Amino acid sequence: MEVPDKLFLTMENGRCAKAESFVKEGDYVYMGQLVGMRDGGFFKQPIHAPCSGVIGGYEQHYHRSGKKVNFLTIYNDHKDQWDPSIKDRSDEEIDRLARADYADILEKTAMVGLGGSSFPTYIKFKNDKKIDVILINGIECEPYINADIRLMNEEMEKIIIGCTYLQKAFSCKKVLICVKKKHGKLISIYRNYLKRFQDCGIEMCPVENFYPQGWEIAMIKSALGIDVPTGHLPSEFGIANFNVSTVWGIYEAVKHNRPVVERRISMTGDGVRFPSNFIVRLGTPLSAVLEKCGGFKHPDKDKVFILGGPMMGASLPSEDCIISKTVTSVLIFDYEDVPESPCIRCGSCVYNCPTGLEPKQIMDAVKAFDKERIKALNPLKCIECGLCTYVCTSHIKVTDFVRRAKIFAKAK
Amino acid sequence: MTIIKENAPHIHRKDSLARMLVDVLIALAPVAITAVVVYGWAAVRNIGLSAVTMLLSEFVFVLITNRIPYDGTKHGIKEQFLHGCKAYRIHHWLAPLVSAVIFGLIMPSSSDPGYIIYIALILGSLFGIVIGKLVFGGTGQNIFNPAAAGMVFAKLCFGSRYIYGTNGYVNAVTTGGTILINVKDNASILGRYASIGDVSVLDMFLGRIPGTIGEAFKFAIIIGLIYLLIRRAADWRVVVSYLGGYLVLMAIAGAFVATKVPNVNYFQFLGYSMFTGGVLFGATFMFTDPVTMPINAPGRVMYGLLGAGLTAVIRLFGALPEGVAFSILLCNLAAPAMDHYLYSSNKFTRNKLIVMGVLCAVFVLAVCLGLGFQEVVV
Repeated sequence: MEVPDKLFLTMENGRCAKAESFVKEGDYVYMGQLVGMRDGGFFKQPIHAPCSGVIGGYEQHYHRSGKKVNFLTIYNDHKDQWDPSIKDRSDEEIDRLARADYADILEKTAMVGLGGSSFPTYIKFKNDKKIDVILINGIECEPYINADIRLMNEEMEKIIIGCTYLQKAFSCKKVLICVKKKHGKLISIYRNYLKRFQDCGIEMCPVENFYPQGWEIAMIKSALGIDVPTGHLPSEFGIANFNVSTVWGIYEAVKHNRPVVERRISMTGDGVRFPSNFIVRLGTPLSAVLEKCGGFKHPDKDKVFILGGPMMGASLPSEDCIISKTVTSVLIFDYEDVPESPCIRCGSCVYNCPTGLEPKQIMDAVKAFDKERIKALNPLKCIECGLCTYVCTSHIKVTDFVRRAKIFAKAK
Repeated sequence: MTIIKENAPHIHRKDSLARMLVDVLIALAPVAITAVVVYGWAAVRNIGLSAVTMLLSEFVFVLITNRIPYDGTKHGIKEQFLHGCKAYRIHHWLAPLVSAVIFGLIMPSSSDPGYIIYIALILGSLFGIVIGKLVFGGTGQNIFNPAAAGMVFAKLCFGSRYIYGTNGYVNAVTTGGTILINVKDNASILGRYASIGDVSVLDMFLGRIPGTIGEAFKFAIIIGLIYLLIRRAADWRVVVSYLGGYLVLMAIAGAFVATKVPNVNYFQFLGYSMFTGGVLFGATFMFTDPVTMPINAPGRVMYGLLGAGLTAVIRLFGALPEGVAFSILLCNLAAPAMDHYLYSSNKFTRNKLIVMGVLCAVFVLAVCLGLGFQEVVV
């Protein structure tokens, strides 16, 4: 979609509490120019301008995390001039890059996990653990969202080249692209394309269609059969995993030396008139995207705004929000108040928990304020996938109780 | 339009407690309809009387537990009543209705003298719903299955006055009580099975034998069971482990009975074990009550095995003709222990498998030792 006249650039975000800016009001910036630096404690993250234009002042808006933070405004001149210092790398240059160089490039271009975690990608390159297999997460397991699938359809070549970069960086041959089984067409297109390259080591890996298959430990389990215990990193088992949009971002960063300035998002939910996927420039306000979708379907009904998927996404306190790098989707639902019934111990939550917890028992323990019982039930294993609330026959918000149990269990 | 902030997840499965309870009612329908067709007024009276008692008790419970909180002013009875009515929700009448239909179906058709059955129905359902469920806090909080508790209470108080009636359809057995009672009247543990060949297994399957008004119609119960399993309103683990465990124990017992007692066919004994009494009815509608069973898969398997063992042992050696309701109550008591937080998990750990194995071994040993040293006295 077209870029609005005024873009907003978040300074602080969920992972970085402090930030400094290198520009002042009235400065002209190129697209991709460094305008500031976030400080996240053990790492620093550069901030780049998503368009060329003139810097305005600061404004307060809601961030994805639900907090009100400072945003730097940029008045777009619609020329989209890239910073002259940003040049493409030739293939020979890329061939010479070592793992440390990749880490350096990704640190400078501020690559973060675009699947929604916003974890800095270069940290995955910085250690020297031996990686045997790279998993590409194209599962997108939450319902309603399909921006990643669109990306895989449209940017196949870039993703495959991005995979070869990863192969070189980790000097590891095996790359598995995990996609849900139901996308049979996409899998066959990729397989046909990969036939052109003899022995390239990139393979498609269809996985089951259930949620939370995109959770990295579930993905590793179904793709490789390795059970990663809680509290251990996949890299300890020789596994590195990346989201497909991150791979696409890595391609842009390595080949063109560009930071991520736009991303694909799904705007959907039963509250929107025309649910659609968009390529959105970072810093676009949510209201502009919403306008493009034809506004609300039922303007008089109460709404819930969700950034992220319907299962784990954060609910916004206001529609005044800015699309940032890690927004994968925006969902707008008509609010529905479902009354709770008493729990009848049907066991759905226990059978469906991907980590093997017993949410009902944890809920009882929280209601009884029984710290010992909470700790014995080990709620810290919970990944807050939300399945227990989703499946609850009595519409009890079980996940909220488990969240409270986690707070109890963390406290001494 | 306002924007509402809520915690994730934001979507819910289209499923509800009411749906689950209605499924149980639908599964009960074939049994209830057959009972009404065969027993007529007696079935309508059993179900209706217990339904009225249980629904009223639950309504009074809702009124008592949903009073206006104390705020310094005095509220009239009418105001209190209306406030309580607001809290009355769909599960407040569906849950007792399910219990009432089950309870009505496991009561006999008449009594001697005739008024006893009315007292038994009212007191039994009252005990079942109040002591079995409401004193613990209502739906979802109860330890005991209300129908089983009420049935056992009524049976202990009025059992000797029950008449398991016969009519045009139900006439496969001559006089007196059910086949189980007649068999139990014979003193010898093995010798009592000498006459089970008198009634064909098909008659037992079709419910042409005296019994409580619902439990005899095995074909209708099996339809209900299949429906419940397809709709996943009943947990198949309990059904399979209960019926499977029971069948295995009875197969072992059958080996002794068939070899020692003359004129007893092995399969006749197995059919007799499955299709008399309340085994199938209990497995379908009472053991599958989710509230009173453990919450995780290993616990539920263990629950079914324990129930199977208790039912078999009571039936073979106990003082009562059969023990489905008693074994349900005993298993209900054991369920919280299976859910204890120190070892409860949804995984079949080695220790749990060992416990299950010991449980099975104990019951198999009990059956073998109990029957192995018996001599036939006819």
